[in-house]
Amino acid sequence: MTGNRGLLWLFKRETLRVSKLWTQTVLAPIIASALFIVVFGFSLSGRIRHIDGFPYREFIVPGLITMAMVQAAYSNNSSSVFQARSDRYINDVLSAPMHAWQMNIGYQVGGIVRSVAIGLGLGAIAVPITGTPIREPIVLVAAIGLGLLLFAALGTVVGIYAETFDHHMFVNNILILPLVFVGGVFYSVARLPSPWHELSHVNPLFYLVSAVRYGFLGHADVSVLLALGVTAALAIPVYLWSQWLFTTGRRLKA
Amino acid sequence: MPALDIRNLTKRYDDGTVALRDFSLEIPEGTFFGLLGPNGAGKTTLISAVCNLIRITSGEVLVFGEPAGSLLARSWIGLAEQDINLDRFLTVEETLIYHGGWFGMTKDDACRRAAEMINVFDLASKADVRTPRLSGGMRRRLLLARALMHRPRLVILDEPTAGVDFELRQELWRYIRRLHEEGTTILLTTHYLEEAEALCEEIALIRHGELIARDTSERLRDAYKAESLADVYVKAMGAM
Repeated sequence: MTGNRGLLWLFKRETLRVSKLWTQTVLAPIIASALFIVVFGFSLSGRIRHIDGFPYREFIVPGLITMAMVQAAYSNNSSSVFQARSDRYINDVLSAPMHAWQMNIGYQVGGIVRSVAIGLGLGAIAVPITGTPIREPIVLVAAIGLGLLLFAALGTVVGIYAETFDHHMFVNNILILPLVFVGGVFYSVARLPSPWHELSHVNPLFYLVSAVRYGFLGHADVSVLLALGVTAALAIPVYLWSQWLFTTGRRLKA
Repeated sequence: MPALDIRNLTKRYDDGTVALRDFSLEIPEGTFFGLLGPNGAGKTTLISAVCNLIRITSGEVLVFGEPAGSLLARSWIGLAEQDINLDRFLTVEETLIYHGGWFGMTKDDACRRAAEMINVFDLASKADVRTPRLSGGMRRRLLLARALMHRPRLVILDEPTAGVDFELRQELWRYIRRLHEEGTTILLTTHYLEEAEALCEEIALIRHGELIARDTSERLRDAYKAESLADVYVKAMGAM
């Protein structure tokens, strides 16, 4: 009895949830983000021709893909775990012969699969129509991997702590969305006047957007190592926090 | 070796409520065992401790000699909880197959066993229906089928017939009895005392997290000079 088979079935269950509701979980975010690219990228590109030497429509693609992916990773896991707790069917998993680390990984997967599906779908639309290059694919994979780890784990943590459905919406609407927006999705932080320029460097999402932008364009507002380092420095503790909750049973077991 | 060996179990919730206090109980393998007590006596807490669903304060729980938290012990337990807790995204068939999966069954075995459980619990017409669309009786059947899906050695039924009509109750008990005859240990909590008297070989009475009495129904009646288990229950609970 190793629990590995249970882990695979938990993968399948969390993925099934995404695929059963694919119009809401995958298609809707792709359409919404594609509209951002069309509306902002093409309508504003007449006024803002280039940022840091890149056409505006290319410049915004990495940030918009990041925004769609991290929101999906977060909201998928927070709602899945919250529903499982609220309806108490999480007990079927908690009582199963699986290690805490397997349960933790199993619950992360849904958000990651959903995000990757959105990222690939959005990339398949945005890259050809805007001509955005992928200059540093390894950095891109690393940046997205760390970003997804961070937000999938954050979603799981919030799903475990949330008392009501509003709590998980609150974190998304009040914390994640504004931080991504002011993290340089639509503009270069380097162009901001003081103190906004300095304040932007306190925003952790700025580093994730920068790392993903470097993966696409080969250029970012900060050093790519710093951007990846800050993202990793956030992702690892949040993942460990989620693991700690499963290991101790805190908030999951009375 | 006992099926369940609970040693000096104490559970204090975060708000300070002590649900179980230094509670010990041994249930022999193959027994049909009843756990009776009023609401809040600690029955569900006890079951949750055995099934790894609460953080115990102190004490030890062994299932067939293995610590209850071990993977092996968990694979031996089948639990039907008091409240309906079915995954809203899954159909009847998926509920059973996925449960089998996270209890370590292969896909083929889980599919075969799910078909068997669907047949036994008369769920065939609803096999592809998602759980929120089932009637109360169907949900209860599915809950029981799920608990038995992975062929557990110890089946824990927490008020499995609460709110269930007479016909279904009879049907469920017929199946549970057969399971018991095949050697499965059953731990049952119920508020239907006549049900406990008819089914259980041994009964424990608990109140305020403490064991009041434990014996066969007949010996309990003798000890309390009562005519029925209901009388025993009233006297035992009143004596506290």
